[in-house]
Amino acid sequence: MTESAANKAVNGEVCHRATNGVKPGRNGFVKNHYHYKQQKNCYAEEKVYHTACNGGVYSRPFIESFEETPMFVAVLTYMGYGILTIFGYLRDFLRDWKIEKCHIAREREQQKDFVPLYQDFENFYTRNLYMRIRDNWNRPICSVPGAKMDLVERISYDYNWTFDYTGRVVKDVINMGSYNYLGFAENTGPCANAAAQVTMNYGVGIGSTRQEIGNLDKHEELEKLVAAFLGVESAMAFGMGFATNSMNIPALAGKGCLILSDELNHASLVLGARLSGSTIRVFKHNNMQSLEKLLRDAIVNGQPRTHRPWKKILILVEGIYSMEGSIVRLPEVIALKKKYKAYLYLDEAHSIGALGPSGRGVVDYFGLDPRDVDVMMGTFTKSFGAAGGYIGGKKELIDYLRTHSHSAVYATSMSPPVVEQIITSMKCIMGEDGTTMGRERVQQLAENTVYFRRRLQEMGFIIYGNSDSPVVPMMLYMPAKIGAFGREMLKRNIGVVVVGFPATPIIESRARFCVSAAHTKEMLDTALSMISEVGDLLQLKYSRHRILPSLDRPFDETTYEENED
Amino acid sequence: MAFGDAWKQISWFYYQYLLVTALYMLEPWERTVFNSLLISVAGMAVYTGYVFMPQHIMAILHYFEVVQ
Repeated sequence: MTESAANKAVNGEVCHRATNGVKPGRNGFVKNHYHYKQQKNCYAEEKVYHTACNGGVYSRPFIESFEETPMFVAVLTYMGYGILTIFGYLRDFLRDWKIEKCHIAREREQQKDFVPLYQDFENFYTRNLYMRIRDNWNRPICSVPGAKMDLVERISYDYNWTFDYTGRVVKDVINMGSYNYLGFAENTGPCANAAAQVTMNYGVGIGSTRQEIGNLDKHEELEKLVAAFLGVESAMAFGMGFATNSMNIPALAGKGCLILSDELNHASLVLGARLSGSTIRVFKHNNMQSLEKLLRDAIVNGQPRTHRPWKKILILVEGIYSMEGSIVRLPEVIALKKKYKAYLYLDEAHSIGALGPSGRGVVDYFGLDPRDVDVMMGTFTKSFGAAGGYIGGKKELIDYLRTHSHSAVYATSMSPPVVEQIITSMKCIMGEDGTTMGRERVQQLAENTVYFRRRLQEMGFIIYGNSDSPVVPMMLYMPAKIGAFGREMLKRNIGVVVVGFPATPIIESRARFCVSAAHTKEMLDTALSMISEVGDLLQLKYSRHRILPSLDRPFDETTYEENED
Repeated sequence: MAFGDAWKQISWFYYQYLLVTALYMLEPWERTVFNSLLISVAGMAVYTGYVFMPQHIMAILHYFEVVQ
């Protein structure tokens, strides 16, 4: 499939897509011989940048930007954390000397002389930094988390150690935090009706695992539908997305295998890789030179002491990385995998349903062949409005997983209304229910994404990630601004998710918006005007580039772009 | 109303100072402790400058033989 993508570029039409900054010959990625021929067709010497110089494996522009942290902001952020740390030590001292009442978990009196249980830096951070702004997380929602939701109002009289409910409900809060990409989180409509009907037929509980007596005909129907949706031979569904990764990677890799995992992989992938017992090597985020170097080292040197060849090499990547908003460079990964004969495990948790002209995920987005990806994993939580995960691939692989996966053998199978929600929403996306609603939703999401990202970047915020990804991380940096942003947005009736350490590096805290197809343009405009207002109040408009930066240069050591001035 | 505008401007600057130094997240007594420390250190620096600057400037000018 990579050959045909390359052929698309040869006819020169890609040369007119002037959106990427690529200097020819600086690729450092797989030196396939056919891409040198195309460089003669490219107008490389002038300012028309295009994708063909990237080896011709990309059939569309790949615009990703991670603007560098301004130095002044980084210094002030460190200073802020320093002040908080000093006050944290002061408070810990007061708590230790019983001058102040201690609200957190402590050992019992009889255990005071034992090795301490509650003393790491992670707990220091929780006690002294997280607790102070804890009201931004775990907010109870009392309606369906669609485009708008209702929140239960809380108030705390002891600085977030305990919360009381005032009895009021904050109504119609615009929801910019749910992973509701296609808007299927709703309590009316064909999906909800079908799920209700199935509850009447099958009940809600299953009471057994897939292997024993918990295999319903609904599960079989779902798996056939998922396989048809993805374009693979066979698929298997699991009850929990996290468990899909952490329980199935150990079944696929073991001792003597090598796992090459991206730097910023999700905790479920990391846990699965560690549980498997294989050797794990980490390559820099979305950096194909780093991956190629690791592959070459692995094949040349083999296993650490014995130098025997690795039993298998498994590359773990994600479709969309939810903290960065970046999309994996899938054509290059597939080219590398084919060249070095490794296996590819693609986790499409955020990208299934959200990318691609027909919503079939990142493989569809790049126009590649699903048979090139050995294991296609995804979740139903994000775009389908349900819960659970799936793995798709060749029939032999899935049959093997049915017997050898921990999740299939030990975990209870999916609940019938959830299965029906997935079946109905997937048929809707595929267009098999007879309406064009699925297609419209996918297009609406793409338009909303482009519009939202463009407006935020024009306003002057630093936005990470690919211009097509519906996950939009907006940088906040300073610890006080994390809490202030969450609270100010809630005052203006917009619910956002703010993230700090340890989910992100310590100075790169961010607010993460998730664009949804259920958001109308008015909602997005309201949200954008409020974001701009709060951005001015909190001085969050750090970006020094007023123009949309376009960069498709392979990254060297860092993923930051350089100032082009 | 000029005082009103000035007051608004000052409280905006104070808010920015709270955000940047992360005092926004601290409890009121912690803010008082930090602000008092900061003001006392700044006050001591200003006082030292006021008392010793004439002597230092005279010494520098004497060194460069601008003044006897």
